[in-house]
Amino acid sequence: MRYIFNFPDIGEGLEEGTILEWYVSKGQAVKSGQALVNMETDKVVTDIPTPKTGTIVAIYGSVGEVVKVGSPLVEIEIEGFFGEEAVAEAKKAPEVPIEEGAAVVGTMELAGNNAIMAASDEGSTKQSKVEEKITKKALATPLARAMARDLGIDINQVIGTGPAGRVSKEDIQNYGQKNKAAVKTEPSYAKTLALPEELVTYEPLTQIRKAIAKNMVHSKQTVAHMTLFEEVEISALKKIREKYKAQQSNVKLTYLPFIVKATVNALKKHRQLNSQMDMENDRMIYKNFYNIGIAVDTPEGLVVPVIKNADQLSILQIAEKIKELSDKARDRKLSMDDMRDGTFTLTNYGSIGGIFATPVINYPQAGILGIGRLIEKPIVKESQVVVGNVLSLSLSVDHRIVDGGEASRFISTIMQYLADPYLMLLEL
Amino acid sequence: MQDTLLEKEVKRMGKQKGIFADYDPREDKIFRIIDNDGKVINEDYMPEIDDETIVQAYKHMLFFRTADEMAVSYQRQGRMYTYPPCIGHEAIHVASGTIMREQDWLVPAFREVGIMLLKGVTLKEIFLYYMGNEEGSNFKKANHVTPISISIGSQYLHATGIGYSVKLQKKDELVFTSIGDGGTSEGDFSEALNFAGNWKVPVIYTIQNNQYAISVPVKNQTNAINLAIKSYGFGIPGVKVDGNDFFAMYATYKEATEYAKAGNGAVLIEALTYRKGAHTTSDDPTKYRTKDEEQEWAKTDPMLRLKKYMDSKGIWKENEEELIEKYKQEVDKQFEEAENMPPYKLDDVFQYTYVDMPDDLRRQKAEYEQFLTWKENRK
Repeated sequence: MRYIFNFPDIGEGLEEGTILEWYVSKGQAVKSGQALVNMETDKVVTDIPTPKTGTIVAIYGSVGEVVKVGSPLVEIEIEGFFGEEAVAEAKKAPEVPIEEGAAVVGTMELAGNNAIMAASDEGSTKQSKVEEKITKKALATPLARAMARDLGIDINQVIGTGPAGRVSKEDIQNYGQKNKAAVKTEPSYAKTLALPEELVTYEPLTQIRKAIAKNMVHSKQTVAHMTLFEEVEISALKKIREKYKAQQSNVKLTYLPFIVKATVNALKKHRQLNSQMDMENDRMIYKNFYNIGIAVDTPEGLVVPVIKNADQLSILQIAEKIKELSDKARDRKLSMDDMRDGTFTLTNYGSIGGIFATPVINYPQAGILGIGRLIEKPIVKESQVVVGNVLSLSLSVDHRIVDGGEASRFISTIMQYLADPYLMLLEL
Repeated sequence: MQDTLLEKEVKRMGKQKGIFADYDPREDKIFRIIDNDGKVINEDYMPEIDDETIVQAYKHMLFFRTADEMAVSYQRQGRMYTYPPCIGHEAIHVASGTIMREQDWLVPAFREVGIMLLKGVTLKEIFLYYMGNEEGSNFKKANHVTPISISIGSQYLHATGIGYSVKLQKKDELVFTSIGDGGTSEGDFSEALNFAGNWKVPVIYTIQNNQYAISVPVKNQTNAINLAIKSYGFGIPGVKVDGNDFFAMYATYKEATEYAKAGNGAVLIEALTYRKGAHTTSDDPTKYRTKDEEQEWAKTDPMLRLKKYMDSKGIWKENEEELIEKYKQEVDKQFEEAENMPPYKLDDVFQYTYVDMPDDLRRQKAEYEQFLTWKENRK
């Protein structure tokens, strides 16, 4: 028998929680009372134990995602499947839960959050902002509340005519008729054509894909993107790297840790690139810490773990950290903590392919540096055409914060470090 | 030579010698019998208590802590509503529960599951209560236990009232009630104790000082050097006790009950402890206290200390893991029984407070019925 365990209201009127860590995986046997997942809510950070003994056949939501109260967390096969059979069953594609939400609050929608956005400090402050906006809580009868929910009316906006301003059924009806515009309707996106099954394959959106979509759109709609391209000749860096990479047996010494170091050094000289704009309070927030997000490509989609305090790490330590984080990303072992509080991001698409790009900023950060493929090509050096090792850089900045001149100065500083890595030595 | 203030007080309150006289809260003394290693450091006050009772007390603590931890787990599984964990308070609960007699009254607040169990309340009833079922306040086997009081401090007033009634009827019954450190700032606390002193009611008032009123530390609660000292304003004896020391709590309750039975009136006991869990399942203590502090207090854990004492005397012969397994099954069984009870009727919510339902309750009930009808028709 399949049992869908919905995220319970564990704190007197909670609406949602954020997944911080999964303790179980698909195919795993669990005993009632065993911790499934660690979740952060408005009230507490806590483990959620399973009410049933059985085998996990589906897990809904990955680390960093927001789950609404009443939405499914896991699906458990309670009896019937054991051993190999259960594992085989578990490996089948997850079914989209269709159960009507036994939700304390509202809908079944699994609100995706920040699989990619996590590399920012936004997640930690989001909830309190939401609370600030609620100015009053209406007095109302249960019937009026239920009707308002049904009609998509914010009951706190309705002026009640009952005793002490109590909102009644009639108030809701009147409000609904007078304020047709205020009644939320489903957004009228163009309806997808119902294409026949043999021509297309329908697949439900994964949580991570939903999160990426939401965050990309949010960034594009909020930030004034401007992208600057450059090329830097890094033969000197190549020599250093080749000399030392053989000596490092436990970690692969790529160019990336050098670029992280160069970027951090440049951020220290150009603080606008390590800042964020706080429009609500009419101020800038300049960060005096340097947490560099690294975009990692995984089969499920893009994730951005963060190298914390990169300014305090040596190049070798950065290399080790990159390896650790990308291994965790590929094994889906990243915790919420691994992904938050980023201040600037690097995307190393060139390791797969591509020379220039227009990277999308990891909001609310001020910039993102794209690193293209390293190629040998003819360059002019002391009036001679020679073979150069050329790395292409694409820097996207938030043009609201960073003017063109500052963006140019920033990328020039990075180029200086990469062209002449001994400069970094001088600044140790 | 003139009497010292203390000697005057002793005379005035009719106390001779004993814990309440020797551990004056005005000198901020604390009464303790065993140290953190379970070693007896205060032999003179060690109560007469046989090994069997000690072992039983520890088993009660173990059962109660197991149930408490499982209750939090059930809540996290969405099978029960808000629950206030009692973990850390075991010595206070079990010492008072062991001393209480069948005919004595318990007027509980919400962090008193351990005492309630010893008074004969069942876990099933406790679980029903936290599932919102009125049957959870209908204690079928427990004698003289009032329903849990959630509004802070009100239970002190109820206890004073019951104590007054018992006294007027000249019954051989004592009343036990508890409040938290935060509750001592409530008006109810002072009103109840004022009448208690005046009327000399046979009530044992305990303050379970677990250091925090949700997130407010006790130092922000009062300018007094401790909470037991407040007893002097009401003319009743008070004492500050190590609430994580089972023997100290037992000896204190023993002396307090003898004092009250002899017709002297009420006492106030401040039991120092530490709430190891959250205030309730809706609270996250990591937001207001440090790991270091928790670790410091963990050394004073009441069960740890009693266990060390038993080990030093060689009187504990049980297999603790096996016991816990057995207890877990029992807790699960009682929880499932509670879970499988038929849902309570709407009437239950409204009808038990007043003989004749007042207008506002009548109106609320009608509104809710209207909602249920609407919900039913919508399907």
